Amino acid sequence: MSADAGPPPEAVLSEEEFRRFCEFVYRRTGIVFTETKRYFVERRLLERYASTGSSTFAAYFARLRAESQEVEELINAFTINETYFFREEHQLRCLTSSLLDEIVAGKAPGSPIRIWSNPCATGEEPYSIAIWLLENWPKVDVYDIEIVASDIDTRVLDAARAGIYGERALMRLSRDLVARYFETTGPGRYRIIKDLRGSVRFDTVNLIDARAMARQGRFDVVFCRNVLIYFDDASRRVAAENIYESLVPGGFVCLGHTESMSRISPLFEVSRHAEAIVYRKPGGVRHG
Amino acid sequence: MAEAPMSRVLVIDDSSLVRRYYRAALERAGFAVEEALNGIEGLEKLLEGRFDLVIVDVNMPKMDGITFLSDLRARAAPTGSVPALVTSTEAGPQDKEAARRAGANFYLVKPVAEADLVAHAALLAGARA
Repeated sequence: MSADAGPPPEAVLSEEEFRRFCEFVYRRTGIVFTETKRYFVERRLLERYASTGSSTFAAYFARLRAESQEVEELINAFTINETYFFREEHQLRCLTSSLLDEIVAGKAPGSPIRIWSNPCATGEEPYSIAIWLLENWPKVDVYDIEIVASDIDTRVLDAARAGIYGERALMRLSRDLVARYFETTGPGRYRIIKDLRGSVRFDTVNLIDARAMARQGRFDVVFCRNVLIYFDDASRRVAAENIYESLVPGGFVCLGHTESMSRISPLFEVSRHAEAIVYRKPGGVRHG
Repeated sequence: MAEAPMSRVLVIDDSSLVRRYYRAALERAGFAVEEALNGIEGLEKLLEGRFDLVIVDVNMPKMDGITFLSDLRARAAPTGSVPALVTSTEAGPQDKEAARRAGANFYLVKPVAEADLVAHAALLAGARA
């Protein structure tokens, strides 16, 4: 049985326009849209036509090429941001039961531990990391933990800094955790407490921009989940190389559970743990 | 129904995660908690209101915990006599001695377990009351 989806939407873009547009998006973001995503692309484009008062593709595209502000708006419209707290909890469990122990084996007490949530979307992931560490890592007061969160999308970063969420984003959290780390701001609206907002530093970074990536320094763990699937092979490789450069020797990268670094780049070693498979930059201190 | 006033604790630590961890543990045990990010801010808060205990980290920017304690103890009571619990990642005898000389009442090496934090806080704040 199939649902009646109604008549197909009228094509907004010609073949050539669609190709030119996708090429432009690809060059700026590394995100690839094929013909199967045409509907999605056209819906977003129509929104941008409306916002900019453009009536044709030619008019909009000329504006896009002339105004960097519009490029940013477009990127914001095209990056998909829907996530929730404690998504892929097994990786957070892996962080506190395995990865951090290996990381601190080579560090003196009081040393920094740097964790990067990239992309962080609206902040659920970096705040989840902070909550998870507070709840599950007994050495949370021994090291100087720095959580950096970045995204290409400036609009979601503003939302992440504000830290206000609906019920859906909190669905995996116990009532107790919600009470401990959120304050109610309205019906079904919850704001993450100030201490946690203060524990995460937010910045705009494009995964395929090597210089922007390098500016953030080196990290012990990078969470880069469910974004490389939107990239094509070439961009994926560039992103993987940038992540590699962003890690200290022996540092870990956590991908989404459907993603595999082995298929993207030979730079990393597979690091198998009871809770999750993650990837590791070779080198650093080894134990066990 | 009248209840005994809650003991007031000032937690001074530059890490917001650590402050959150200590605050949650202390609040669960019935303390009222205030926070400061460094020694300077800690002194300001102590001068503004009465506290039963200060819990202070050693390694902090702007003003470290040892300098903070020396400055605190040079002040008149009741501000200068507030009990002080030092928490630090430094476990050496010379570090503990430096804290004691500066005016620490007790020294806990991080990681500080919740039960230890609460037990020592209760002991020290109780001595003040």
